[in-house]
Amino acid sequence: MIDDAPGAAPSEPLKLVLYIAGQTPKSMAAIANLERICAETGPGKYTVEVIDLKKDPKLAREHNIVAIPTLVRQLPVPIRKIIGDLSDREKVLVHLKVGG
Amino acid sequence: MAIAESGYDTLSAEELRRRLEEAEDTLRAIREGEVDALMVRNPRREDEVFTLEGDASYYAFMEAMDLGAAAFDEENRLLYVNKALRELLRLPSDHVDANHLRAALDTASRERLVSLMLDAREAKKTTEIAVLVDGDEIHLLLSAAPLQLGVNRGLAITFTDITAKVRAASAEASERAAHSIIASANEAVVVCDVNGIVTHANAAVAAIYAGNPVGQAFADVIRLILPMTGLLQADDIVSLAISGSSVQGIEATVPDAPRVKDVLISAAPLRVGSDKASGCVITMVDLSQRKAAEKQQLLLMGELDHRVKNTLALVLSICKRTASTEETVDGFQAAFSGRIQALAATHNLLADNNWSSISIAEVVTAELDPFVSSAQARLRVEGLDALVMPRAAIALGLVFHELATNAVKYGALSTEAGRVQVKVTKNPGEAWLGIEWLESGGPAVRPPVKRGFGQTVITRSLQYMASGGAEIEYPATGVRCHLRVPDEDVVRS
Repeated sequence: MIDDAPGAAPSEPLKLVLYIAGQTPKSMAAIANLERICAETGPGKYTVEVIDLKKDPKLAREHNIVAIPTLVRQLPVPIRKIIGDLSDREKVLVHLKVGG
Repeated sequence: MAIAESGYDTLSAEELRRRLEEAEDTLRAIREGEVDALMVRNPRREDEVFTLEGDASYYAFMEAMDLGAAAFDEENRLLYVNKALRELLRLPSDHVDANHLRAALDTASRERLVSLMLDAREAKKTTEIAVLVDGDEIHLLLSAAPLQLGVNRGLAITFTDITAKVRAASAEASERAAHSIIASANEAVVVCDVNGIVTHANAAVAAIYAGNPVGQAFADVIRLILPMTGLLQADDIVSLAISGSSVQGIEATVPDAPRVKDVLISAAPLRVGSDKASGCVITMVDLSQRKAAEKQQLLLMGELDHRVKNTLALVLSICKRTASTEETVDGFQAAFSGRIQALAATHNLLADNNWSSISIAEVVTAELDPFVSSAQARLRVEGLDALVMPRAAIALGLVFHELATNAVKYGALSTEAGRVQVKVTKNPGEAWLGIEWLESGGPAVRPPVKRGFGQTVITRSLQYMASGGAEIEYPATGVRCHLRVPDEDVVRS
């Protein structure tokens, strides 16, 4: 599931969307883990949007979200999905194509 | 499942492979517990969140609790704060995160919370913290216990407001301290309410009032007599203190008191937590000893005045009599100073004994010392251990001085062979103690041709009472003098 991202210039931030379901433990863990990864890789590398599907479940359709939490790399295309609480840092970085 | 419905036949093989991988990854994530919510479509064909942990009901339960509660995950991340805790700590009604909770606690409370979370991973633990909410300090009992939320391990902490209990305990401790302070005071301490009714009285009050004054009006149970015009009474002191004015150190008499009748009374308003007096505190210091000391002092001053007057009168009399019998200034000076010294010697003896009684032997020794030592064979004293009162001691001092002076000039002490014997006699039925002065071995005695001062002193000095007096005889063998000391002035014969 490793894809190159030929459409994105190296300087442009990756656009990420994190889908959560209110304050479930895994959702909270995913937010915290993503914040830590963003902090470690430096500012300006990602833009992150958090979408709470508890508040607006319809938004799940845009990215066909099934399991929560799920992180979507929206840009560069093609989109990538990382399912789970993002506790496996290496796996997250590989999927985001950072450092790889 | 909410996988988009697509015409699979229009998708490329690559897209199909990607979707298959995604589906497999989703199943793996569910199986391995990496997700705790799924999107499902309800019968109305609407998407909704389905939580796998069943935590919704758990949160609903916590939300309805009156007790403040928070849930943390395994990494100590804040998951949830219930409504009661949000209200207790004035946290936002939604989107409460760890920063809000952190801001609500001071450093010490945060450290206690962190320490509690570390300790409570295995078993339930509790701790207490104090936090400021809207400027008021509230005390919280934190109780933390491990929590299993589906596949997640976490921690539940309840926050119980124990402010009222802590304040009650503190108030109780303060009251206990106040009671023990009152109880251990040496002074009598009485506490009255705003109506002047006694609410507390310590043990020292028992010396002033025999019964239990609690429940009665102070002015009724402790009747005070104040040494002023009578305008100020006991109930005025209480009223003044309750209205906010202190009354400082007024001397008063308590005529009905069982033991302590003289007191120094002070009263001050009692303020508990507000500016308005809720009663008064009255202290009464025992003045009995001071009063007794003052009385003793007055008595002593009166006695001193009396003695000085007597002594001055005696000195004047000695001066006058000496002047009338001495023919030259030198003779007067010698005789007068000798007599004053005799008086001074007895005074010194009496002063050394606090003006109580002294022995006749001491008087004889003091008066005869300038002429003859009692250790010498020329003077023999017998049975002079009797003690006499100051009045008799002064008279005896003057008499012995005159007898000794006369004996040195003309009698037994003028020659080496002469002897003087002084002895005490006491016969039953006599109201006096007899003292004999007997000279022998001296030159032949001739009675004096005229009555001198010495003779007057000897015969008159002890005549202050009917049973006292003296007779002097002049047989040729030696002067004999018989002195009578009234029994009233003899302490021990």
